[in-house]
Amino acid sequence: MTRYCLAASVEEALALLEEHGGEARIMAGGTDVMVDIRKGKIAPRCLVDITRIAELRQVTVEGEWVNVGAAVTFAEIRQHPFIAQNVHVLAEAARCVGALPIQTAATWAGNIVQAMPAADGALAAVALRAEARIVDATGAQWRPVESLFVRPGVSAVNPCRQIITHIRFRVPQGSWGSAWSRAGRRESLVLPTLNCGACLTLGADGAVQDAVIALGPVAPRPFRSRQAEAFLCGKVPDSATLAEAGRIAQGESNPRTSPTRASREYRLALIPAMVAQTLEAAADRAAKRASYPLPPR
Amino acid sequence: MDATISFTLNGRTVTVRSDPSRTLLEVLRNDLGLTGTKQGCDLEGECGACTVLLDGVPVRSCLTPLGKVQGRSVLTVEGLGDPERLHPVQKAFADAGAVQCGYCTPGMIMGAAALLMRNPNPSRAEIVDALEGNLCRCTGYAKIVAAVELAAARMRGEAAEAAVSGEKVIGGDSVRVDVAERVTGRTRYVEDIPMPDALHMRVVRSPHFHARVVALNADKALQVPGVLRVLTAADIPGQNSIEGYSKDETVLVPVGGTVKMVGDAVALVVATTPEAAQAGAEAVEVDYAPLPVVLDPQEALSPNAVSIHADGNVLSTFAVAHGDADEALAASDVRVDTTYRTSYLEHATLEREAALGYIDEAGRITVVSGTHEPHWHRDFVAPVLGVEPSQVRVITPPTGGSFGKRQDPWLAAATALAVYHMRRPVRIAYTRRESFDASPKRHPYTCQYAVGATKDGELTGLRLRVTANTGAYDSGGYWIPNYAVVAGGGPYRWRGVDAFAQSVYTNGPKSGQMRGYGTPQSNFALECTLDELIQRLGDDPVEFRLRNAIRQHETTWLGYPVAESLGYRQVLEAIRPRYQALEASARAFNECERGSWRKGVGLAGMWYRFGKYGVPRVAAEAELGLDGRFVVYCSAPDYGQGIATVMVQLAAETLGVSRDAIRLVNADTATTLDSGVPGASRATYWVGGAVCRAVTSLREVVAEAASEMLDCPPSAVVLTDDRVMVQGDAARSVGLREVAAEMERLGQSRKVTGVFDLREQFPQHEREMYTPHFVTGAHVAEVLVNVATGQVRVTRVVAAHDVGRAINPRDAQGQIEGAVVMGLGAALLEEYVPGVTTGFSDYYIPTAKAMPEIEVILIEVPSYQGPFGAKGLGEAAMLPAAPAIVNAISRAIGARIREIPATPERVLMAMRQGGQR
Repeated sequence: MTRYCLAASVEEALALLEEHGGEARIMAGGTDVMVDIRKGKIAPRCLVDITRIAELRQVTVEGEWVNVGAAVTFAEIRQHPFIAQNVHVLAEAARCVGALPIQTAATWAGNIVQAMPAADGALAAVALRAEARIVDATGAQWRPVESLFVRPGVSAVNPCRQIITHIRFRVPQGSWGSAWSRAGRRESLVLPTLNCGACLTLGADGAVQDAVIALGPVAPRPFRSRQAEAFLCGKVPDSATLAEAGRIAQGESNPRTSPTRASREYRLALIPAMVAQTLEAAADRAAKRASYPLPPR
Repeated sequence: MDATISFTLNGRTVTVRSDPSRTLLEVLRNDLGLTGTKQGCDLEGECGACTVLLDGVPVRSCLTPLGKVQGRSVLTVEGLGDPERLHPVQKAFADAGAVQCGYCTPGMIMGAAALLMRNPNPSRAEIVDALEGNLCRCTGYAKIVAAVELAAARMRGEAAEAAVSGEKVIGGDSVRVDVAERVTGRTRYVEDIPMPDALHMRVVRSPHFHARVVALNADKALQVPGVLRVLTAADIPGQNSIEGYSKDETVLVPVGGTVKMVGDAVALVVATTPEAAQAGAEAVEVDYAPLPVVLDPQEALSPNAVSIHADGNVLSTFAVAHGDADEALAASDVRVDTTYRTSYLEHATLEREAALGYIDEAGRITVVSGTHEPHWHRDFVAPVLGVEPSQVRVITPPTGGSFGKRQDPWLAAATALAVYHMRRPVRIAYTRRESFDASPKRHPYTCQYAVGATKDGELTGLRLRVTANTGAYDSGGYWIPNYAVVAGGGPYRWRGVDAFAQSVYTNGPKSGQMRGYGTPQSNFALECTLDELIQRLGDDPVEFRLRNAIRQHETTWLGYPVAESLGYRQVLEAIRPRYQALEASARAFNECERGSWRKGVGLAGMWYRFGKYGVPRVAAEAELGLDGRFVVYCSAPDYGQGIATVMVQLAAETLGVSRDAIRLVNADTATTLDSGVPGASRATYWVGGAVCRAVTSLREVVAEAASEMLDCPPSAVVLTDDRVMVQGDAARSVGLREVAAEMERLGQSRKVTGVFDLREQFPQHEREMYTPHFVTGAHVAEVLVNVATGQVRVTRVVAAHDVGRAINPRDAQGQIEGAVVMGLGAALLEEYVPGVTTGFSDYYIPTAKAMPEIEVILIEVPSYQGPFGAKGLGEAAMLPAAPAIVNAISRAIGARIREIPATPERVLMAMRQGGQR
């Protein structure tokens, strides 16, 4: 028999975790937790449902910062007007998680804590250089989401001791754009063969000032193609440059063969074009965004 | 400790005391009696059949813990509307023909209702986005999307309710019988039938591909609280076999026997709860001694291969020799040699295998389970129990899809065995994983072709070798080689044919019966091989087929002429303009387009033998009830294909009354006659023929009795829904109830038998497997191929089929649309890999996102013998889809795809390797 608690506040949720000494578990939508319980991977004595905590259910946009509460669902994220219009990498990644009736429950924080190398939400967070606010008995701290993946299925966040309360990321002023691509054995309800999120900042001269390229599953964690990112800096994102960036990203990647999805060779073969096309879309959006005013503070 | 959870359910407050981590789905179904919401997977959120609305938002109730809904509002399909007051979405699904087996329907309806609540004017893309997480296996999604558009238009006040067309019964757009129950979640599939005191059963299955069963110990299992009995082969009172269906398969593998596939059944555990049965199954200790495993048919044929069955590794073969194939091939100007491969496929019906067994009021061991013909299952169950068939009863309930899966009588036999011993009701439902592991599959084929033609495009010779992988057991696949060869040569004139097919055992899952029964695979290989030949000749795909098509009345390469009108010429002529237009548009697209996408257009034809072999004689009954209503008794199980509706339509049309005047009693061995060997798309033609005969006879006896009462000649009476009138004098009439009462008073039988007997037209022939009934069709597929990634989108399919006579055109369309999408799945997505594939998460059936624009062209070249000229359709519709799609891909990329599924990876590799593979 499992106890089920609808926490009314973060403090209450923490207290419940303490009370159960590691045998309670934070749960938001439950779309991963329920499956893990059924499969016998976890057996919590208490489920601490955080979806009624008001402060965790907000999306706020303040200046350059977007702050997404941990209980905001992927459906709400993709439908949020600011995110839908400006943060394509996140809106489109949210669209790819399972299907709509899963997105209506599943959360970004939950996706990150599940710690799979190709998790769409996790990858988008890495592309955005997002930070997660982690609260536990010792206090609260913001940590880069990229640092939270230990190995496949294992997060640096312990959902029996800690709570992610918020995820935030910066949408810089000026020419910033993002994009998302995904390849799979079919177009819905499938784990990815390859997915890619990219964010680009362009300078006034049209050259890349900052690039973030997140790729999965090409490593045990959501992967940053840092060599490709470095290559892009200072260069105008024309087709030849993007193609080269794609090739560099391919060189840094180390995908596995998955018998039900794709071989390592095929994944490698896809990388250059997927990275190039994602970067191109991000660059287009960055270029267009320079001509629009920013949202009011 | 139990929690107390209160929430609003369908507008009322309910309180449940239970473990709050239980899924909402289980609570709805088991605690609250709301069985409209379905379980299609193993509670892993994979199929969408469990969709309910939580505060107006669609969620997977299989992933929603009960505790989460505290204080919130849940809406299920039962709450959306009831049969007297349908919600517009439910009504639109019914009116648009969007309900076939109905199992995915509640989930689809809830998803659609939620969409329309927040977006009253959704685009097609938005509808697909809302529903792409809901799997459907029957409809191909086309009419589901159309239903949502219709509902939206009606809710906006822009479309009127459909007027009920009272005139035509046949050929009109006829809404399915019982659809109101299906769209409101009232239909009771097996798992929905309440039987509170039923026991629960689980199967103990081999984890090994091949092993000897050294010992079995049930002691620990029997100590699990709730476990009542563990049944093994030793507990089988009759014969431990289902021979006649599967010649070499036991019901339970005995100690000392060998398990030959993963999932082979060794024991049955019966308990008071499903959890106890599961725990008990896990506690049965079986000692296995692994044996060498062979999974590849070629390896199984090699001399050193381990022998899976006593008589070696070949189950059956079939050969056709016509003319001199070698000489014909030698005389060719162009010759093409190919090898084509297909994969294991799984039916993946939305309803998992399930059965409910009990002892009925007459003391018969009764099994309620999906079947293709209940007498068929009864006849295999009775010998297992060592009893007469009359002591067994099989009832076919509303069934959530079959596609051949439910032909396998194993489940009925196992359930009956449990009831035999327990003398109490027993229920069983496979897990989705179990269904994937242990249920029959489609045979993988390797087809080696050599075909030739003259430079004028006339076919010369055909040499064909087919190896079919039948897995561990026969499983109703004994005749596969015959079907492989017949489909492998097609509706074409060959000067010489040398065709041979064999079914080979391996330790893969048993290959059995699946839509088309061994024909889609070889038809795929043939139609792609012909396309290669056509390209080499620089010929046109339509003209080539017209030129070489078999002609009515001439002896075919099978050695006999076809028995029914063939229709292939008409099909090809109908599809020709569509093919030409699409082909031209694809060429224009490719010339302009600079990006990664290339368009391709492909065509494929087929013939499909419908009706099966055996004695061509089927019987049905019709009765005038004491309530004045006509009753038809027949055995035509409806597992979604709409045959129950067709039977009612045929009866109504024959009698000249409306559908509502007909009641159908269907598919219960206690009350309906045996229809003979089931399957092969035979029901409309054969059972329909019998139904027409029966109601014609009934009309005669009713007219006879009524004419006495009305004092007029029998030929002068006219039947209506509730009266019999004198022609031209409506004042002289008598109610059907009064006629029935009068017949009863006079001791006249109100029930007659009708027999559809074509033995004279089709006498037993000296040639083996003489079954001369064929239907034909052709598809054109338009695809977009991404040459950088190998991804394929099927954008459009035109499907032309000769159906003889469309009894229910909209349902015929629905069957074709579903078959096209199933063919798309086989062509691009689906591949069951033994030891690897586990379920919906790694077996990719098409979602709504994959749905192409489908245009259906129904050709009606009436059959000579079938009721109102009808033929068969359900399986045939699938055949041309995969080869049309693969031909389109091959033409788009300039390289041949020789293996399906043509995954993006395979397509990319084909492009990289270039030319022939």
